[in-house]
Amino acid sequence: MGEVEVPALKGVDLTIRRGDFVAIIGASGSGKSTLMNLIGCLDIPSKGTILLHGKDIAKLSESDLASLRGRTIGFIFQQYNLIPTMSAFANVRLPLELQEMGDRESKARADKTLTLVGLADYAHHLPSQLSGGQQQRVSIARSLVTEPEIVLADEPTGALDSVTGREVIELMQRLWKEQGKTVILVTHDLNLAQYAHTHIELKDGRILSIMENTHMRMFKERSKE
Amino acid sequence: MKLVKCLRHALTMVLHSRLRSWLTIIGIVIGVASVIAIVSLGAGMEAAVNSQISGLGADLVTVSPGYSRAMRFGPGGDFDGGSSASDATLGRQDLQVVRGLPEVKAIGTQIRGSVEVYYLGEKATISLTGVDQSTWKDITTDGIGEGRMLGPADSNVVVIGERLATEHFDKPIGINQLLTIEGRSFRVVGILEEGTGSTIHMPISQAYQVLEDSVRGEYDSIIIKVKDGVDVQAFVDKLEKRLMLSRHVTSKDQDFSVSSNIQFASRMSDMTSTMTMFLAGIAAISLLVGAVGIANTMFTSVLEKTKEIGIMKAIGARNRDIMLIFLFNAGSIGLVGGFLGIGLGWIISKGLGAAMEMSTIVSGGIVAIALLVSVGVGIIAGIVPAYQASQLSPVDALRYE
Repeated sequence: MGEVEVPALKGVDLTIRRGDFVAIIGASGSGKSTLMNLIGCLDIPSKGTILLHGKDIAKLSESDLASLRGRTIGFIFQQYNLIPTMSAFANVRLPLELQEMGDRESKARADKTLTLVGLADYAHHLPSQLSGGQQQRVSIARSLVTEPEIVLADEPTGALDSVTGREVIELMQRLWKEQGKTVILVTHDLNLAQYAHTHIELKDGRILSIMENTHMRMFKERSKE
Repeated sequence: MKLVKCLRHALTMVLHSRLRSWLTIIGIVIGVASVIAIVSLGAGMEAAVNSQISGLGADLVTVSPGYSRAMRFGPGGDFDGGSSASDATLGRQDLQVVRGLPEVKAIGTQIRGSVEVYYLGEKATISLTGVDQSTWKDITTDGIGEGRMLGPADSNVVVIGERLATEHFDKPIGINQLLTIEGRSFRVVGILEEGTGSTIHMPISQAYQVLEDSVRGEYDSIIIKVKDGVDVQAFVDKLEKRLMLSRHVTSKDQDFSVSSNIQFASRMSDMTSTMTMFLAGIAAISLLVGAVGIANTMFTSVLEKTKEIGIMKAIGARNRDIMLIFLFNAGSIGLVGGFLGIGLGWIISKGLGAAMEMSTIVSGGIVAIALLVSVGVGIIAGIVPAYQASQLSPVDALRYE
C-alpha cells in the first residue's frame, strides 16, 4: 500500500506586505499551521512557489534557509518552546550565537531585549522557574533579539490566561506599531484576531477571505502622526 | 555557530543528563583503564626483562651443542628453552676454532649436571656447573656477594648461588662451610650476589670428577667474551660459519647453536610486546562496548532532544551546527571517560605492580594514544546519531512530543 498524499493547502495565492499585522484565522485543520510553516521557511511546498525578498525558498540551500530564518523571521510558539536547560538570558541569546555574533554585542542585545519585555530581573531563571506569561515573554524576546523583519506567532496566547494573553498580544501590537515589524499571527481566536490589521480566513486549505481591519489601519496611521 | 559555542552547548547537554552520561562514561573508563593497566604492566615487564638481559652481558656469545631455532637463554643461564634432538657435543676442536678468532677477548668452557649434596646431615639434589676458573670471573655476569670468586689455583672449593646459601637447607650456608658433593668435601669460598640461583660453581677439572656422565674434553657450552667495539651479531654469524666448516655440517644438519644476549633480548622483547598487545587487544573490546554505549546514549539523546533540535533550527541553526553539537557531546563523553580511565588505569597498574613486585610504566605516548582513542571512539560512535539529528526536518522536530 502506497502513501496517500493529502494536500494541506490548495490554490493559495497570497501576498503579505512589509509592515502589515496579519491574522491567519480558521478552524482546526484549516491549514493555518501549514501556511505558517511555509511562510516561516520551516517547510518547503510540494508544489507552488513561496517568495521571500523575491527569492524562491525552495531553491535555497539548507544553510541559506537556516540563515534566512535566523536573520529575517522571529518565531513565537504556543508552547513557548524554550530550551529547558538554558536560562532566560541564554535562550534569548541563542539565535545571536547561531549567527556567530560577538560575545559583547550578543550579551548587550540579549540584555536589552529582556528589558524590553520586562524580564531583566529574571535573566538567570530557568524556564521552569518562570510563569507561563513570563516564558512567553522570553519567547517573544528570543524572536526579537535578531531584529527580524517578520514576527510569526502561532497561537501565542493559547496557553495563557486571558489577562496575560492580552498583555502578550498588546506587546506584539506595540512591535507592529512602534517598530514597523511585519507580524503574522496564527489563531483560531477571533477576539485575538481583532488586534491585527489584515485577516486571512482559511477553510479546508483554501483562502476564504482576505479582509482589512479598517479600525486598526486608522489606529496605526494616527499613531504614526 | 562558532565551534567553541557548539562545544559549550555539548558540555551543557552532558551536565544536564548526568546519570545517563556518567553511566556511558563508566563504559569508556573501564575500557581505557584496562588498556592502560595492561600496557603499562607489559611495558614494565619488557623493561625489566631488558634490564635483566643487559645485566647478563651484551658482549657474551654462547656456543651450545645441539641446534634449535627456539629460544635459548644467554651465557651461564640455567634454562635452555631450545630443544636438541642431537647427541652432539662440543670439544677441544671447537675450542680451537674459537681461539683462532681475533675478536675474542676471553673464553670459558662449562659443563653442567646434577649432584647429591649433603650439608649438616641434610641431603639435596643441586645443579652444578664446572667452570674454567681462570676466566670465569671475566665472563660471568653474577657478582660476588660474600667471600670471593674462584681463582686459577683453587682446588676443592666452590662458589654457590645466593638462594642455595639461604633457602635450600634448614641452616644457611656460610663462607668456609663444607659441602659434601658426591662424597667429596668442598669448602665454600664465595656466595654470589642476591638474586642468583641455587647452582654450585666449581673448577671444571673437579666437575669432571663429580659429574658421572661427563667426559673430559667435552663441554656443555663455550662462552666467549668479545672485544670492545665488536659487532656481536656479525661475530655470531662468523663463528657459526667457522664451526660449521670445522664440524663438517651445513645449515640443514647443524648440530650446535651460537647465540648472544642481543638475539635473546630481541626475542624476549618481541614476545612480551606481542603478549602485551594481545592482552591490550582483549581489553580494547571493552572500549568497543563503551563505544556502543555512547552510540546508544546519543540515539536516546537525539530522541529526547528532537523538539529542541526543531527549536534551534527554527531560530537559525544549520544542520552543521546540530551535527557539531551532538558530535562534541559524544566526543566529550569519550574525553572525560579517557581522562578518568587513564587515572584509574594508572592506579590499577601501580597496585598490580606493587602486588606483583614489578615496575609498571605509564608512558606519555600511551596516555596520548588512550586520550585520542577514547575521543575518537566517542566521535565515531556519535557520527550516525549526530547525522540523524542534523537531518531532522524543523517542522517534524517541532511537532515531536
